Amino acid sequence: MEILTASAGSYPRIGSRPEQQRHRQAYAQWERGEISSEEFERVQDEVTREVIEEQVRAGLDVVTDGQVRWYDLISHFTRKLEGCKIDGLLRFFDTNSYFRQPVVVGEVRWLEPVIKREFLFAKKISSAPVKPVMIGPYTLAKLSINRRGVGLAELAHEFAGAISLEVSELANAGAKLIQIDEPAILKNPNDFQTFEHAIEKIVAEKNGTMLLIHTYFGDAAPLYKKLVKLPVEALGFDFTYSPRLPEVIARLGCEKELGLGLIDGRNTRLESEREVLDVLKKILPNVGSKRVYLSPSCGLGEYLPREIAFKKLQNMIAIAEKAGELI
Amino acid sequence: MREKLKKFGLELPLLPTTSVGSYPKPPHLLEARLKFVAGKLDAEELHRLEEQTTREWVALQEEVGLDVFVDGEMYRGDMTTYFARNLEGFKISGLVRSYGNRYYRKPIIVGEVRWRGPITVEWWKFTQGLTRKPVKGVVTGPYTMMDWSFNEYYPTRRDACLALAKALHEEVKALAKAGAKIIQVDEPAISARPEELPEFAIKAMQMVTRGVDAYFISHICYGAFEFIYPGMLELPVDNFDLEMSNSELDLIELFREHPFSKDLSFGVVDVHSHVVEDTTTVEQRIRRALEVLRPEQLWIDPDCGLKTRTRDETVSKLRAIVSATKKVRKSLKVP
Repeated sequence: MEILTASAGSYPRIGSRPEQQRHRQAYAQWERGEISSEEFERVQDEVTREVIEEQVRAGLDVVTDGQVRWYDLISHFTRKLEGCKIDGLLRFFDTNSYFRQPVVVGEVRWLEPVIKREFLFAKKISSAPVKPVMIGPYTLAKLSINRRGVGLAELAHEFAGAISLEVSELANAGAKLIQIDEPAILKNPNDFQTFEHAIEKIVAEKNGTMLLIHTYFGDAAPLYKKLVKLPVEALGFDFTYSPRLPEVIARLGCEKELGLGLIDGRNTRLESEREVLDVLKKILPNVGSKRVYLSPSCGLGEYLPREIAFKKLQNMIAIAEKAGELI
Repeated sequence: MREKLKKFGLELPLLPTTSVGSYPKPPHLLEARLKFVAGKLDAEELHRLEEQTTREWVALQEEVGLDVFVDGEMYRGDMTTYFARNLEGFKISGLVRSYGNRYYRKPIIVGEVRWRGPITVEWWKFTQGLTRKPVKGVVTGPYTMMDWSFNEYYPTRRDACLALAKALHEEVKALAKAGAKIIQVDEPAISARPEELPEFAIKAMQMVTRGVDAYFISHICYGAFEFIYPGMLELPVDNFDLEMSNSELDLIELFREHPFSKDLSFGVVDVHSHVVEDTTTVEQRIRRALEVLRPEQLWIDPDCGLKTRTRDETVSKLRAIVSATKKVRKSLKVP
């Protein structure tokens, strides 16, 4: 088995040093109409390059583009779908960050690739494999205002249709592993069937790529048994909400690749080697797949200052090296 | 709870009008704060400007005719960071993104949280010294301080929250000792994880208020109330200050199902909108509240702190509150 290290999503776009303020300054200038969209785009390209380099420098095996162009995880994707409008700000789960809420007013239809260009750009400049990260159909349906006049299941199904087309495009563009975030299912276990059907729809058209379903901001232990039956190659978990999860995985085992979110993506405290290794010792003997990814519990972009995000990754990689000696 | 207020010698009119906490800082004060941070203005000069602006806000509250005053928080930046800077055990982080292009500095708990000495007491005394109307003491609550800080020191969220409660209890005691009869403990984050309300959030509020002889208000906003109501009624305070206009008043329906047992400061104007509500709109909102609450339970105020509005918007919104309240009082046939 190999233990790789991976990003779980976004990365902070600004830092404390003056030269790391560029994105924020350009954003403000663009909002005031002082620079063109093309110029702002160029700054976003530069910052994307910077955060990819930073992840590689920290030593990550799998990086993301940091989602530096995204307003938030939800509206960035729905903005380009037919049938969706974008409404006001809403708190994202129990965090102190906000997203623009989609309003579904008509049939949801995918018109053109949304993040393919971003992926191709990142792939071209990165020396490490790039993993696209998207929000999943169930969470999208759950967090949207539904004016469509259909039920949640049908809405999730329509979003799944749109996401599957995007996934297929990304697969064609060379994405080997795609992460789909589904945090909302943890707090709504009764909707599991709806969630499962939506994921199955994406799997049917995934075009040879590997899918990782990642959940966070809730306890995954009660749903673990069902999650491991999903027809996807990999599952990611946020261990910070799940004190029982290591024991559940040890008991029930896992044949899929696992994203082990043992690094708290929402706290500045650096994990000790011991606390992470203790969990790995418990889990790894019961995992049957060839590969696991040690990762933060969630994207870091909205929750940590840049300096700390980098330190967290460095610390995680040092721990992963120790873990490699374990096996 | 009017008996409790009477016991403190506070004879408030029916439907007392008040504000949540913050008022906008005038441009010259914002500029002075930046200069202070850059080391181009000394602390005394900044303090003098803060006092001057506080006097202006007290005068405006007199003129508008509010019944319970606030100091306007001219000396505070962010509601969490302000207390974090003044308690032991905290450090302030680098920039964290909130949304769009907005960033803030988040406190980090790096050691044992302790109360070093009075934080807001001098400002309360200063403000109360300017008026005969009662001035609220306002502190940020332990759950919100915990939820909106990083925690590098305490093993659990519960431990961090209870340590904060212990420290903030000292502040609340000091406010009461200085003479504050009405003390507000802000808990906008309280619905972040509903399961934690019975686990330790209620206990934390008990620790803050226990043994302190004051009329307690808790301000809660941006909430998913449906998940914490009616459980939140167990928080040991006399009055909940809730945002009602921004939530399309759906709390009224919740109260119909399960009667609201405390006093309620009812937010009747939207603090996120530039549009000033007219008296009729505000009056209708008050009358809707009276469908589910007795007049003796009800206070009237804005949804939240007004610091993001302009001075003129703030004053106009407060005027709308006072004139609508007067109309309703008249129809209730009380002075």
